[in-house]
Amino acid sequence: MFTAGAWWLDVTSRFRCVCRTPTLCWRRSLSSKGPSGSSPPPPLHCAPPSWRQSLDFLPDELGGQNEPGFSSTGVLPCSRAVPPETKVPNDGAAGGGSDPVEERPAAPELSQDSGVSLDCSALVSAADRPLQRTPAAELSTAASPFCVMTPMTPMTPMTPVTEGSGIVPQLQNIVSTVTLGCPLDLKFIARQARNAEYNPKRFAAVIMRIREPRTTALIFSSGKMVCTGAKSEEESRLAARKYARVVQKLGFSARFLEFKIQNMVASCDVCFPIRLEGLVLTHQQFSSYEPELFPGLIYRMVKPRIVLLIFVSGKVVLTGAKERAEIYEAFENIYPILKGFRKQ
Amino acid sequence: MSEREPPSPSSAARALPSFLQTPQAVSAHTHPHSTTRFNVGTCGLDRCGLCDRVIDVGSEWRTFSNEKAQKDPSRVGDAQNPLLNGGDLTTMIGKGTGSASFDEFGNSKYQNRRTMSSSDRAMLHAFKEISTMADRINLPRNIVDRTNNLFKQVYEQKSLKGRANDAIASACLYIACRQEGVPRTFKEICAVSRISKKEIGRCFKLILKALETSVDLITTGDFMSRFCSNLGLPKQVQMAATFIARKAVELDLVPGRSPISVAAAAIYMASQASAEKKTQKEIGDIAGVADVTIRQSYRLIYPRAAELFPPDFKFDTPVDKLPQL
Repeated sequence: MFTAGAWWLDVTSRFRCVCRTPTLCWRRSLSSKGPSGSSPPPPLHCAPPSWRQSLDFLPDELGGQNEPGFSSTGVLPCSRAVPPETKVPNDGAAGGGSDPVEERPAAPELSQDSGVSLDCSALVSAADRPLQRTPAAELSTAASPFCVMTPMTPMTPMTPVTEGSGIVPQLQNIVSTVTLGCPLDLKFIARQARNAEYNPKRFAAVIMRIREPRTTALIFSSGKMVCTGAKSEEESRLAARKYARVVQKLGFSARFLEFKIQNMVASCDVCFPIRLEGLVLTHQQFSSYEPELFPGLIYRMVKPRIVLLIFVSGKVVLTGAKERAEIYEAFENIYPILKGFRKQ
Repeated sequence: MSEREPPSPSSAARALPSFLQTPQAVSAHTHPHSTTRFNVGTCGLDRCGLCDRVIDVGSEWRTFSNEKAQKDPSRVGDAQNPLLNGGDLTTMIGKGTGSASFDEFGNSKYQNRRTMSSSDRAMLHAFKEISTMADRINLPRNIVDRTNNLFKQVYEQKSLKGRANDAIASACLYIACRQEGVPRTFKEICAVSRISKKEIGRCFKLILKALETSVDLITTGDFMSRFCSNLGLPKQVQMAATFIARKAVELDLVPGRSPISVAAAAIYMASQASAEKKTQKEIGDIAGVADVTIRQSYRLIYPRAAELFPPDFKFDTPVDKLPQL
């Protein structure tokens, strides 16, 4: 049980992930209660199937407390990261017998946290179910030596048409919105809260900032809030909860309704220079390259609907995604095209 | 000079003048066997002799734009502009000139001279604006016509209805210049328009999407003749600058730089190597480029200056004495 006042501090540590992929790393309980019985299932996203069982070394502090609103299957109701075909198959399942590993996050209705109050007494961990993230093809660049990248292609054996690009776009910014469910007095908030600015002549919202995760929120008098600056979906949700908590502490009956990620921005580097003139000639209907207006080529991919900014140096910025998988898919789509326009 | 009598059985119907004939009667103008005789003013079918009158919608006599502009005595008005106006048949009552046209208070009788079809009014205003803008930078008639056509297409599509017509007109002008192969920079269009470069750029992209066209990428050579003649540089310098800019792009010395900046830097290098030396500020003013930008691009092409010059160039200042910035 956590102390009511500082639950978010525990959440912060909960979300620290050795693999630097906090959104996709499953979590186990932070508290002293160990994993219930069997050995915990290893982080699925990090390893090919045969290695899943050997990842017990991952430290215990990757805990996850079930927050209110989570489904009883222990799935964090955040965005589903991955389209089904990239999920690691269940064969060779992890050592945990009970294996909620097999459970996939259900349909997006789980991702809506509706009407849940931030009352900490509700923070009861249902069981020590590991919170599972959908395994996604992702490279963890940090500590774990066993984490390898898996391509977005299905794991069933196929004629290897392309191997993956081997490059994973890094998320730079997430914009999300949440409804607090009650009208707010912005002047009061601006006066009482720390790190809040409110200039009604310039903009009709309070601009509040917190340091951990480093984010900015726009809080409107209708009770709606926009949270920007987080580097991952979990951080964005956590930050939004913190802001909601601040507003709640100021005396408003704030709730945490309809959290939705509106935009995700990622960037990566293909490490070779690109001939933008060639690209705009062949992909005219998708590309727009006007050196007078902007030095990068603006590529509007149709499926998934992502906008990519492609620069001569080989840096690529992807934006417009609602889910992480869209970014990865878009990059995998563009990578062979960019390779074709490599400058010799 | 005589009309052939129609010999066919239905001659009774065809004896009627053309404007009284039923609509499903054969139109002499579009029939494949028709001959038009402008001296008589008829358009007739060869085989059966059915004739139709031709109405000449040109102007009554020649008028010149700068000759006696006030007193154009055309009684039928200007030459019709059917493509762009959709058949404007409204009548406008002009301002009175004699003393009889004013009532006792000094107000003119016949005040309402503004009724014309409102849908065309905005378009006519835009055409006038386009014509003014084009006149400021001496654009030829073909570009203005193309611009008018583009504007009409965009206007009728209504997908950009919320945007200022002037912005759309400026963007159409930019696109027309590009399509004709003589691109103008956005800054040049900005200079003759009241719209900001940002807005023109936005409208430009929207129009390309709305009309589903695309334009060719700009190259350094497109601007050389204009910039060099504005600077008063001789032909050799212009050719040298064109060569330098093209070579620099081929050798990929200036990746990611706008072609305008590269062109400006090439002009600077060529002029500094010749007898007519121009400063970066002068070139920057003409090209619409900041002089630091010219300096940046110049620094990129300076190391390989020797290979960039054309082989037959006569150096006034040798390559090693070129200014190093």
